[in-house]
Amino acid sequence: MSLVNFTTREITCKIVYYGPGRSGKTTNLQYVYSQVPAERKGQMISLATQADRTLFFDFLPLDLGSISGFTTKFQLYTVPGQVYYNATRKLVLQGADGVVFVADSQLRQLDENLASLQNLQANVLEHGVDIRTLPMVLQFNKQDLPAELILSPPELDDALNFRGLPTFSADALHGPGVFETLQGIAASVLRRLSEGGGGIRRL
Amino acid sequence: MSAPDGNRPKTGASIAPPAGSGPGSSATAPDVGRRKTSGAPPAGSATGSGAGDQLQRALDRISRVRGVRGSMWVAADDGIPVAQLLMEGVRGKAIAALAASLARKVSGASAATGAGRVRFVQMEAAGGTLLVAPASDDLLIVALADSRVNIGLARLEMIRAAEAARA
Amino acid sequence: MSTTSVVEAWTEKPLVRYVDQAGARLVVVMTTAGQVLAQHGFVRAVDLMAASALGAAIMASSAALAEQLGERSFGALFHAGRRHGIHLAPCPTPRGALIVLTVFGRETSIGLVELFYEEFAAALRQAAPVDQVREPVLATDFEADLNRSLSSLFRR
Repeated sequence: MSLVNFTTREITCKIVYYGPGRSGKTTNLQYVYSQVPAERKGQMISLATQADRTLFFDFLPLDLGSISGFTTKFQLYTVPGQVYYNATRKLVLQGADGVVFVADSQLRQLDENLASLQNLQANVLEHGVDIRTLPMVLQFNKQDLPAELILSPPELDDALNFRGLPTFSADALHGPGVFETLQGIAASVLRRLSEGGGGIRRL
Repeated sequence: MSAPDGNRPKTGASIAPPAGSGPGSSATAPDVGRRKTSGAPPAGSATGSGAGDQLQRALDRISRVRGVRGSMWVAADDGIPVAQLLMEGVRGKAIAALAASLARKVSGASAATGAGRVRFVQMEAAGGTLLVAPASDDLLIVALADSRVNIGLARLEMIRAAEAARA
Repeated sequence: MSTTSVVEAWTEKPLVRYVDQAGARLVVVMTTAGQVLAQHGFVRAVDLMAASALGAAIMASSAALAEQLGERSFGALFHAGRRHGIHLAPCPTPRGALIVLTVFGRETSIGLVELFYEEFAAALRQAAPVDQVREPVLATDFEADLNRSLSSLFRR
């Protein structure tokens, strides 16, 4: 849940990057971290296995500067993608103000994408949140791979975008689409916040 | 969260009890083994006063009894030493855990038989004697002794310590 | 009925002895990634999966905190609950860095668990195979590896 401090005029929001294993969630954060100036970011923390799979979360605090007179900070988190780590994934998802669903564009990963979307829905529900009110964007990552291996954005949109959410094509390893995605979810979250009434509906 | 490697911080240097001191001094003999003190006093207690020092003084008196190789206050539920005064080679952690386990089992048996609150437990083994006196629901006074021990004196000091802790 | 089951046979004898001595209700021996090598007391794979993922996550968080403080590592972690306590500790072995999660009830104590955990850790270090070269796990095989362990523990 967003923290709004009227005394210090600060807003802090939590964005969670969700998706199946190896879809590029950590890569998104690593790219953001590599590009953002030092004065605008905190230390990136990655709790990973020896094989560099996210074990618990990656965390990156960002300072977006002043928006409407409020110092706006975003805390970016990734979750582990493997089904095995659902217990910890649920913990990280708690209190999310917005979600970036990072889909793996590879054809062979379509089922994993769908399963992960369903898992997201289930976990959000367990936290007592109506997912329809949760700001969310879809990122179709790995669009740089050979065309015969991936689904096109319209195909992915058809397969995964049940809610008509904003979508962004990306190649997180090299950067295209990463900041566009982040800007998209930031705008979504801040818009919801400015709508007032708590924004996200709790069931 | 426990301290690194599960070890409690040691606060004191090695000490030896003075010869011929304490009640029934003929029954006490200078113990040549080096003793180690550990256990931090409770927060807020000043040097020379406070509950922590009281506990430590009780251990001093018990340890002066001939044959006592170590004494300690033990958290009854957790089986962890609260304060201890032990000779080198005495495994405080093991004794604390086992003494608490023993006290719990004996208390349970005593309650089941209607014998009432346990005042003192004495367990003789081939290598020594373990003495346990419950001070309260959550605190025990424990002593480990060898075959030379004056059981009566040790028991007296322990029960006194337990009563003082209850007061 | 509580059972002990192992993926790697060398863990069994030390585990059975530890459970008996410490009076533990549940024990998981796992890698730092949460992959289970041996367990006692769990009857459902989903429960074991959650416990091992959470246990590994706690240890990873503690290690990150230690790094922030300039510590090399922390030792054991103990949480006391109303009905249960948990003891979570790292256990370096020749087979690799392991984690042991112990859940115990009021019939035993943290003192006993800590006492016998030290013996258990020493027994694991002693029993661990030194001659096996562990192949690096490919990212593609990572989750399969995790699930394989679980399947082998709950094979009917």
